[in-house]
Amino acid sequence: MGNKNVLIIGGGVAGLCASVELANLDIHVDLVEKSDFLGGHAIGYACKAIGKTCVKCGACMVEEKLNHTILHPKIKILTGSRVQKVSNNNRFTAKIHCKPKYIDPDKCTHCRICFDKCPVDDAILHGSSKNNIPFFAINEEKCLYLKDKSCDTCRDECPEKAINLDSKATEYTKEADAVLVAAGFHPFNPEDKPYGYNRFDNVVTSLDMERMLKQVGRIKKPSDDTVPEQIAFIQCVGSRDSKLNHLWCSKVCCGSAMRMARRVKERQPEIDITVFYIDVQTFGKDFEQFYKDAREELRLIRAIPGDIYEVEEQKLKINYLDNITHETLEEIFDLVVLSIGITPGKDNGEIAELLHLKLTDSGFIESGPEESSVTNNGIFTAGTVRSAMSIPETIASAGSAARQIVKYLRPNSS
Amino acid sequence: MKKVASLNNKTLIFGNGPCARFIAEDLLSTGTDVVIATTDKTCDFSPSEHPGSIEILTDIRLVSCRGTVGNFRIFAAQNNKDITKTVAGIIIAEEDQRKPNFSTYGLKGSSCVITLSQAKELLVDSSHGQSIFSKAKKVVFLTGLVKESHPVIAEEIMHSALKLQSDFNLQTYILTNNLQVAANGLEGLYRKTKIAGAVYVKFTDTRPEIRSESDKNVQVEFVDEITLKKFRLTPDITVVDETIVPSDYVADLARILGVDTDSGGFVQADNVHRIPIFTNRKGIMTAGPSRSIQTYSDQTMDGENASLASAGLMAGLQIVPEDRAEIDKGQCIRCLTCYRLCPYRAITLNTRVVVEPGACERCGICVAKCPRGAIHIKDLEPASISNQMAAGYGLQEENAFSPFLVAFCCSRSAFQACELAQCMGHNLPSKLKIIEVPCSGSISFDHLFAAFKNNADGVLVLTCHEGNCHSECGNIYARQTIDEIKDKFPQIGFEKERILMQTLASNMGTEFAEIVKGFEETIAKLGPSRLNKNQ
Repeated sequence: MGNKNVLIIGGGVAGLCASVELANLDIHVDLVEKSDFLGGHAIGYACKAIGKTCVKCGACMVEEKLNHTILHPKIKILTGSRVQKVSNNNRFTAKIHCKPKYIDPDKCTHCRICFDKCPVDDAILHGSSKNNIPFFAINEEKCLYLKDKSCDTCRDECPEKAINLDSKATEYTKEADAVLVAAGFHPFNPEDKPYGYNRFDNVVTSLDMERMLKQVGRIKKPSDDTVPEQIAFIQCVGSRDSKLNHLWCSKVCCGSAMRMARRVKERQPEIDITVFYIDVQTFGKDFEQFYKDAREELRLIRAIPGDIYEVEEQKLKINYLDNITHETLEEIFDLVVLSIGITPGKDNGEIAELLHLKLTDSGFIESGPEESSVTNNGIFTAGTVRSAMSIPETIASAGSAARQIVKYLRPNSS
Repeated sequence: MKKVASLNNKTLIFGNGPCARFIAEDLLSTGTDVVIATTDKTCDFSPSEHPGSIEILTDIRLVSCRGTVGNFRIFAAQNNKDITKTVAGIIIAEEDQRKPNFSTYGLKGSSCVITLSQAKELLVDSSHGQSIFSKAKKVVFLTGLVKESHPVIAEEIMHSALKLQSDFNLQTYILTNNLQVAANGLEGLYRKTKIAGAVYVKFTDTRPEIRSESDKNVQVEFVDEITLKKFRLTPDITVVDETIVPSDYVADLARILGVDTDSGGFVQADNVHRIPIFTNRKGIMTAGPSRSIQTYSDQTMDGENASLASAGLMAGLQIVPEDRAEIDKGQCIRCLTCYRLCPYRAITLNTRVVVEPGACERCGICVAKCPRGAIHIKDLEPASISNQMAAGYGLQEENAFSPFLVAFCCSRSAFQACELAQCMGHNLPSKLKIIEVPCSGSISFDHLFAAFKNNADGVLVLTCHEGNCHSECGNIYARQTIDEIKDKFPQIGFEKERILMQTLASNMGTEFAEIVKGFEETIAKLGPSRLNKNQ
């Protein structure tokens, strides 16, 4: 299969796994990722081991897949890139727009001088993994040089001369025998729920929490960097919600919230944690024991709060209906974590149009091999672009798509 | 690099259910030869025309398995006949089985208390179902009230309830604790059953009181947690959920093939490195209901992953680096320590003990544990590690003491975490020597003493979390080694604080920095090691 080419759209868990599987079979892969860094949302996730014991969240597997991807000679990585046009005459021809490479990955040594010296917040972004190469990226929306050429501190300070702020965008044309759509999901934006996200400092999402655990290791209140005494997790934010027409369970949030909560409790036992839920979904092979321990360490309340209000000292007041007394209770928390669901990717419409695919009623793209068996048109899907999936399920989904692609590419297949 | 040649192009599949058949069809379609081995007396599987060839062995049980990836020799019993096969790869795809949960609800099976599987059968067999369900008015489903249920079970209950509501005009009640909807389409199906009239009663802190007198209908009494009202249900039929467990034969297969199982007996250790279909043995895959409780779409995904891995073996793309473990036959006394401890079953016994390079994962556990020091892996010899430590380290120059630290880091976890810590801008101790090891199980007393002999003031062993070791128990062996040394240190007047073992994952850059900095402080307080010749 040494002469075959596959175009993969999306460099998250599914895209990485499929790239490695295909490349291992001697198939050339062009991996197109729109953001500056490979690894998708999951590369920012923290290890949730409790004490010295792994709880099988799978975050470290993403790190490993990324490592294998960047080392593989058959995988061509295009970050900061978008597929703009695809035409199909037996083979696919894709036009790819690649934003300027401001930082030379071969020269950058991750010394962080650019990041530390940059005068503007978030104008230089950093990766989440040492396998994000380069580890830094210029944020086009914030950089002063790109705005009005008023600052070139990073370029001046870089001891390796790795930064070129005048770098130009490039266009590529890639030929492919098959296309894999692995464009991932969009984490639900909770601004529309009455939980004060982006209005109250101490309301964060589960993804914010993941990043905090990974970057800092310990939990602090965003408002004043002090340790919270009371944390509440609210489950099913944007999932199982008929008002939003989100008629799916995101599958991962119960596991993620309970693993994070237990990890916090283990390192900062002084913090009390409450989890508000509808139904606790089973996860992992050792769920019964995990759930039993969780019930001892955490307070689980089967109710979904109506509103959150900010009260004095930027604390948060939560109203909910108590199951036992049947009264509306008010409780004060220092930090609220919203377990936001997996929703269809923002670009799904655009991708569907580009490749003539159909969106499901929910907005995901399922039309992969099963549905296309009639036309067998060489376009496949994997991972959370199809539906909500956990990391292990996404890895399996990518392997399954890789197998279907291999079958499709076989020279004697009809 | 050399490639392991497979002696043949055959994959052996254990099983006769939908998952096994799916894999067989899939492999045959790309020209892989398949052998299906089932304990069933008959097998009516007849795949469509394919380039691959198929052989079906019925009424057969595995007796033993020798060899390794690319060349497994299978011995099996069929009636009184012995059968021998040589295959390149093995896929375990046996069906699961179900245990009715009657006793957990204090019930016994009867004409009006049935299992979910029985209910499903009745609904498929319309004439029999008709006679039972047409006389009934109320059906109660009991699920997840004592043990947690599973989306696979919940889906079957919802489909059954929907059919009973719409085809038989029955009133169904589903009594549950956590409703398991974490599978594709289940939340939608749940809404659909509610619209069709199914009533869900969820229990959190209370449980229904379930009574049944012999030959009489079941009575269920409960206080609804939402309305706080008392209810009594007297269903005509009570459907009890089931627990899904691996088949008994799967336990035999796992034992004979030497593959790890999880706490529930499914084939595949609860270890993220085995995701999705891998086992501790190269060339032996586990798919579908043999490895966990799965929906049919999970099973086809597993099937495709198993085919992918199996076809990879066939393609001869199994690349074997030449730095695997080797046994020095002059030194080996056939004590079989390596054979017992190898987590990958990569050691075979013939006229002599041999490491099969295709199956070896280069963890180094055998090297560390061999009492004769007869096993070698290039770059893992204490001498070569001593050279690494001796390099890049000079005499104490500053006035203040800054300790020389040696950290043995697992290549899969701590070594990666160290690089991440550097990327994240954490300041690491100035005199920290990182020694990358393939697995902490490869660290022997010799390695640790070599560190102190090379003037280390403190030695760290940083390894994967328990349950995350690629070699399953390399980190446990390392802990045993270190505990043993720590016991002996005080006897020879050496501070046991000079050696520390911690667990890390590859994505724990912050924690890596915290650990090494904390250790540097501890050792700085202790002062230089007695063995540090530079002091």
